[in-house]
Order: sequence, then structure tokens, then C-alpha cells
Amino acid sequence: MADRSRTHRRTAGRVAAAVPVALVCAFLLLPLVVVVVSSFAAQNSFRFPPEGFSLRWYGEVLGNPAWVSSLAVSARLLLVVVPVVVLLGTLGGYAVGAGDFRGRRALSLLFVSPIMVPSVMLGLALLHQLQVAGLVGSAVGLVLAHVVVTFPFCVRVVAVSAAALDARLVRAAQDLGASPLRAFLTVTVPLLRPGIVAGAFLAAVISLGEVAVSVFVSGARTVTVPVRVYSAVQVQMEPSVAAISTLMLVAAVAVIAVLDRTLRISRFL
Amino acid sequence: MSAVAAAPRARRWPRVRPGVVPAVLPTVFVLVAFLLPLAGLLVLSLRPTDAFNFALPGFSLRQYREVLTTPYLYRSLLESLSLAVRVSVTCLVLAYPVAWYLARAAHGWRKTLVFTVTLSPLLASEVVRSFGWRIVMAGEGPVNRTLQALGLTDASLPLLRSPWTVFLAVVHVLLPFAVIALTASLGAIDDAVLRASADLGASAAQTFRRVVLPLSAPGLVAGAVIVFSLTMGIYVTPLLVGGANQPLAGLRVQSEAMVTFNQPRAAALSFVLLLVTLVVCAVVTAVGRLAERGTRG
Repeated sequence: MADRSRTHRRTAGRVAAAVPVALVCAFLLLPLVVVVVSSFAAQNSFRFPPEGFSLRWYGEVLGNPAWVSSLAVSARLLLVVVPVVVLLGTLGGYAVGAGDFRGRRALSLLFVSPIMVPSVMLGLALLHQLQVAGLVGSAVGLVLAHVVVTFPFCVRVVAVSAAALDARLVRAAQDLGASPLRAFLTVTVPLLRPGIVAGAFLAAVISLGEVAVSVFVSGARTVTVPVRVYSAVQVQMEPSVAAISTLMLVAAVAVIAVLDRTLRISRFL
Repeated sequence: MSAVAAAPRARRWPRVRPGVVPAVLPTVFVLVAFLLPLAGLLVLSLRPTDAFNFALPGFSLRQYREVLTTPYLYRSLLESLSLAVRVSVTCLVLAYPVAWYLARAAHGWRKTLVFTVTLSPLLASEVVRSFGWRIVMAGEGPVNRTLQALGLTDASLPLLRSPWTVFLAVVHVLLPFAVIALTASLGAIDDAVLRASADLGASAAQTFRRVVLPLSAPGLVAGAVIVFSLTMGIYVTPLLVGGANQPLAGLRVQSEAMVTFNQPRAAALSFVLLLVTLVVCAVVTAVGRLAERGTRG
């Protein structure tokens, strides 16, 4: 009897706890759902609920050279940024996560410090530096900006993996005659793989959506998709913006869902 | 003698934990791509300017003086401070139940769903989320249509111009960070502690107030620090949702730099903004440590 009332209370408690979770999830989804729904509108308006259904805004986006060139810029940027960040983030995360040297804590603080600086400030600082170096509007600025912004996240997840590293495995490899470099490449890197993969995906998704710093450093020919959305939203509201936003959204949600199922990245965050 | 014998031995046994070598390349990168530009910005903020707001050689504190005496600029700092406090508190309150669920529930499709929903806004671009709020709050958007359908209002309300819309949108953008910070800390609480509390006769509310809440202090502090500092510098969301006239410091930095082209002033304002942010974060961290020590003692 006492047991039963306890189970009842627990069920009631569980339901009571589910309500706020559901409400918060609804709040988080509302603006995203609205974007997706209006991307299929038949008319050029944001009336809700929209009248009719059409794919014309997707056609408009994919037939517009400006959007297509931005898609190409974002994709090319990704192909440069992710390998660079993975290289830097793996080395940095390994050093601060597993390292044994003086100043390790200071270094790990230095590596995550770009997160603490407002992006508006980071953008302005990079813009000023590019002006000094005469590189305004080049792809260099955009690549630097994206690597700086994503690097701290990559370092953090790799450091979590590195801290859990079993040093005896590395010692065993060296006892068996592997050079330190070989032991690093054949033992350490495979052991760090979950962290490296999670870091790569995080970097990819953040780079795809980055806008606050990019606005400062992107030139006329290096306009990423989010920066073009940023300009478009300020000038005119059009369902074609909703269409390109939906495409970006689908990519991000797919990445994160697959990632959690395969790697349980929730553990790293 | 033994020291001499040990030296070559140590060389034959290379260290297993990495030394400073792998850190060299990332450190050089952070110095060149992050600290050097920041130093350049600091120098710029200390330059005198000509009539067209271009930096001249020399040293001057004029920009900082103007930031601290011009209402247009210093009020934006106060406004950002107030927004950041409100957003941080709201985010922590909203994130708590979700983080509790994510930290405690068994792995399954439902948890994956909540996890995906929680993180998807973080991973969708800030511009997409802001654009979404523009539609939600538009004249014929879902909120206005619902209010009209319920007969609460006849004409559509100018929701986009309300500061509450910007507040909501910023909470929406930063909520995932609070969830992440709290989930880590709530997941670290041992189940045995909760069982012990219940077995000793504590009600659920008592267990929450006297066990769970104090133990989650590190997560609350981490969440508050990250949400607060991100709100202090935010400009994309307020600009896209509420327009360029929102009196926030991040937006003022952006408009000084990109609209009026007064880079030295934008630089000075951004350094004051950074300083205020770091001071508040240091205070929050210190208070959190004290509170933690208090519950342990």
C-alpha cells in the first residue's frame, strides 16, 4: 500500500516534471517551426497560417546566382576551416587535456578565451588587423575569423577525451618500440577520435551558422549564407529567406541527431 | 654517479604524457589570430582622431572619456547590463527542468528528441532564429493572429518594436548554453545522495532546496557566466528583431564601427564593455564559490 502510493506519487511527479520540459521545448521550436512553415507559403507574405503550399521559394533560392554563390562560399569555407580547426584543436586539446607541463591551466584558459570576448569586438579587432595588413575583403579574414570562433569548442571536447586517456597504452606502444610520433598517430589519435569527431562536427555547425564576426570581415565576393540572410532580413522580408534558412536548419538538425545517436556527444557537453 | 646513470635511461623512456610541444602551433595561432588583433584594437582605442574619425598617431584617452560621459554610449552599457541580468536569470530558470531531465532520464528516443530540440536552436544560425522571431511577432504573425482570434485585440499590435520581443529572442538564442552548463553539473550528482535525502524523510521540495540546488551551484555559476557574457556583447539578434535603435552596447559598437565609421570610439566602447563583463563574471564566480563553501561547511 505504502509502495503503491509511492509509485503513484512518482508517476505524478514525472508528469509534473514533463510539463515544463515540454513547454521549454515548444518555446525553443516555435520560431524554427514558423520559419519552416512559411518557406512553403504560396504567397509573398508572412500571414499565419499561410495560404496554399508551394516550393517556389526554394526554386527562387536555387535559381538566384547570389544565393548560389553564397552557398558555394559557405561550403568552401567549411572545407578549409574544419581541417584547420581539427588540426589545431586536436594538438591544443591533447596538450591541455593530457599534458604534463607548467602553465597548463593558463594555456587552457588562453585557448578558450576567444569565447569570453564579445563577437562584435572580435569582428572589429580582426577587421582592423586586416585593414592594417591590406587584406580586407579577402578570404583570409573569413577563414581566420571562423577558425578563431570554432577553435575553443574543438579544444574543449578534445581535452575531455584526452583527460580520460589511459597513459599505459601509450607506454605499451613505446615499450614495443614505437617512436613518440608513431605512438601518437597510431595509439593516441585513435583513442581521441570521439572527441576529435565531435569537435569537427561542432566546428562545422558553428562555422555554417556564424554571422556576428563574419559580418565584419566578409567582402563583396566572400558573403556566406548567414551574412546574406543578415543583410536580406534587414532590407526586405521574403519567404525565399525562409527557404534558405530551412535548408540550413535541416542540415544542422541532421548533423546533431546523427551525432548523438552514434557518439552520444551529450556526454561531452 | 647514479644521477649520471639515470640521465640516458630517462631519454630511452620518453615521456608518456605530452609536454608543451603539441601546444606550440595552437598557441602561435591564438597569439596571431586573437591576441594580436585585440592588442591592435586596444592601441586604436587610445589614439587621437581627426575630424573624419580616422586615427592619428599619438596617445589620448578621449574616446574613453566620451564613452563614459555621452549618454548615448554609457546608457547602452547600463541597458545591456540590465538585459544581461534578466536574460541570465530567465535562462537558468527555464533551463533547470530540461537539464534535470537530460541529466537523469534513461537514454532513448525521447531523450534524443529533447536533446536535439534543445540544441537545434544553438546549431541553427542566429540569423535564422532572429528571422523566426520576426515572423512570430509580425503584424499578421501567429501571436497577433491568436490574440485576434481570441478577441483580445482588434488591431494587430506592434510587437516587433517592443523591448520584450528582443528579450524573448535573446533568451531563445542563449537558453541552450544554460542547459548545457546545468546538465553537466546535475549529471554529476550521485543518485545515492538523493535516495539518502528521501530515506531520511525529506520531501521532494526539501531535497531540491537543500540538496540538489546547492550541489548544482557550479552549473548555475557556469551557466550564468556564459549567458551573461554572451548577452553583454549580443548585436545580431537585437538588430534583426528590434531594429538598429535598440539601445544596447553591442549594437552601439557595431553601428559606431560599420555605420558612422568611428572605429576608435567603437574600440573604446568594446573595451569598456569587455571590462564590465569580466568584472561581473568574476564577482558571480566568487559568490558561487562562497555559497558552495557555505553549504559544505
